[in-house]
Amino acid sequence: MKIRAKKVGTTLGVLALVVAAATVVLWFRRIGEVDIPEDRTTYVIFFLSAVALGVGAFVAGARWFGGVAAVLAIVIGSFFPFTVAISRQEVAANAIRVGGSIPVFSALDENGEVFESATLAGKPALIKFFRGHW
Amino acid sequence: MQIVTVCADTPEEIRDGRGAHGLKAHMLSDRDLTVTDAFGLRNRGFHSGPPVGAEALPVPTSLLIDGNGKVLWMDQSEDYQRRSGPGTVLAALRTHLD
Repeated sequence: MKIRAKKVGTTLGVLALVVAAATVVLWFRRIGEVDIPEDRTTYVIFFLSAVALGVGAFVAGARWFGGVAAVLAIVIGSFFPFTVAISRQEVAANAIRVGGSIPVFSALDENGEVFESATLAGKPALIKFFRGHW
Repeated sequence: MQIVTVCADTPEEIRDGRGAHGLKAHMLSDRDLTVTDAFGLRNRGFHSGPPVGAEALPVPTSLLIDGNGKVLWMDQSEDYQRRSGPGTVLAALRTHLD
């Protein structure tokens, strides 16, 4: 009975790691394609499932192999929901709004040449602020 | 229509990123957040790892402006992991520019 429980624990631990790793691969593939989903609920569910399976592995009595896999799954599976939990953003009270006018600005472009906002005059434009290329 | 991007990357990092993603736009480097601050878009919430040399990051924001610089539409991420998807931006262009 005990040996059977340990087998179940090992299976759950490995399964947990497979779920966590597969979800990580899918997530980074979306990032690589600059195609981050607007709704991340599915990913959070899969990561939390990996955590649950990892915990289940210990409850079932996983031995070292299943235990290591379960710990990895719990760590990986917890990290993404953690980043979701701390990802809230706030702007200043005087931030630009719909109906407002953009400020005059200049900055270096990717070739090190100065871009002036005056060159945007006369035509509609899309301005996109983003965090970085990583 | 012109497309301008602003981020805290250096021009070199932007060049590398453009090579990887093939973006066609004026891609501006705003390492010291001068432009970001002029728009009031510096993130005041929790920062997850700004790059070395950048003290903060902008809140991901898309702005559609008319020829006079007036903001017709904007979409802002309430959290840093969300972006305006292509469908959202294209819908805004159709609504405001058609």
